[in-house]
Amino acid sequence: MMWQPFFTFFSFAKDCIADIFRPPFRTNLLFKEMELITYQSLPIVTLCLSFAATVTILESSFHMKMVIGDDALVPGFAAVLILREIGAIVTALLIVARAGAAMTAEIALKLITEQIDALKMIGIRPYQFLVAPKIVASSLGVAMLSMLVSIVALVVCGVASHIYLDLSPGLFLAAFHRFANFNDLFVSGFKGFIFGFTIPLICCFFGFQCRGGAEHVGKMTTRGVVMSSIVIIILDFLLSALISHLF
Amino acid sequence: MKAESKVGILFVATVLAIIAFAIAVGVVNPFSNRSELHVMYNYAGGLDKGSPVRVMGIKVGRVKEITFAPNYRHNPTGEEVKLKVTIEVDKAAMDTIREDSQFFINMAGVIGEKYLEITPGSLERKPLPPNSYVRGEDPPRIDQLISQGYGLAGKLIELVNKNENSVNQIFKQIDTLLKNINKTLAHLDKMSEPNDIQRIIKNTAQVTEDLKFITQQIRSEKSQESFKLIHKLLFRLEDVDGKAIKKFFQEEGIKARIFN
Repeated sequence: MMWQPFFTFFSFAKDCIADIFRPPFRTNLLFKEMELITYQSLPIVTLCLSFAATVTILESSFHMKMVIGDDALVPGFAAVLILREIGAIVTALLIVARAGAAMTAEIALKLITEQIDALKMIGIRPYQFLVAPKIVASSLGVAMLSMLVSIVALVVCGVASHIYLDLSPGLFLAAFHRFANFNDLFVSGFKGFIFGFTIPLICCFFGFQCRGGAEHVGKMTTRGVVMSSIVIIILDFLLSALISHLF
Repeated sequence: MKAESKVGILFVATVLAIIAFAIAVGVVNPFSNRSELHVMYNYAGGLDKGSPVRVMGIKVGRVKEITFAPNYRHNPTGEEVKLKVTIEVDKAAMDTIREDSQFFINMAGVIGEKYLEITPGSLERKPLPPNSYVRGEDPPRIDQLISQGYGLAGKLIELVNKNENSVNQIFKQIDTLLKNINKTLAHLDKMSEPNDIQRIIKNTAQVTEDLKFITQQIRSEKSQESFKLIHKLLFRLEDVDGKAIKKFFQEEGIKARIFN
């Protein structure tokens, strides 16, 4: 049946969300997952987003010069673009590639080596033990990382504007001040939270769908990453439409 | 290092970054050196929260808030003004904003960015205290002007259509009048020689000079005395018999004619 996987996924998601609020709360697992998602991913996310910010500045400048012959306001709307769009989505996609793949592989491997059955045997709920900390850690971690890295990317934007567009820090701040609002940072955080919530749900779901040997683990990992990326991009569209409508 | 410490460090870094961002955007300003003013408008003309505020073209602040004020009446005129624009202005610029300063909404930049321009007040007037309420100059409403223009054009067209014959007649009459004026001017041009005109002008100037001289003479002290004497003489003559005067003038006149 075509809709069966969706029903299975929603049933899985419902159980996982219920397990988040069910004690005991394993904070050590939560911090371990958060470290993987935030601290260990920070360098790669910062590097990628900094380059994305520089490209945004250069491309926007090129287009603005082509359209109105002036690029003095480019840092302003490039900053808004980074805050409302690029910051959250680039972070989420990189977390999918880095942490999401690891989540699927971990769950799949534990499943085929019957470690999950062992957990059930000793009375531990596998979703509560394996998925719930990942969901909480990922939601908070991606939201935090999106905001932090977006701000770092804005600093990079300022440097790039100075080097490539010959705009002084004062002009950059004036343009930035004209367009950017404090709410834009929370848009980044909110999107990061939603993406972070989605990533472990999808990746762990595919991990639990693993049947067979190591080959299937690889296949599920690929599916988890691809599906998470697609869902994130669609969610980004929906959230952008919703946020643009609200603010 | 423990996982908790690493996450903690990152959390603190994020909070610090958020605070730095809030300061950069202007939401939080611990070193604030600004005063607030409330400028009242009936039409904001696209002014927005965060729009720049300038004094003599220099950016000195921003629009903090735009709110509706349905029950506000401006003192001392009692005029109803419905929009309250709260602005933040650097304290350094507050001395130049005085009671007679004007608050305009202008447009600048390639994308038509709106800003609030404040003209400096005169030294005779007092500086505006913080949190004052002032009446801004409402920007012209282009949409209203266009609408009025359309209305006016419609009425004109209607008027012309209704009175087409009269309008044609008026134009014909104006045409005839202009032709007649041209003809008159041509006749005048033919009739008058250039030398005659110059002579007339010279004579006129001479007459004016003479009149001036006569007037001066009349106003002189001697003339005034003469007038007084004549007046006295006439006053005295009033009592004398008219017949005797007539006889005197006639006889004396005859004698004078004979002997002189």
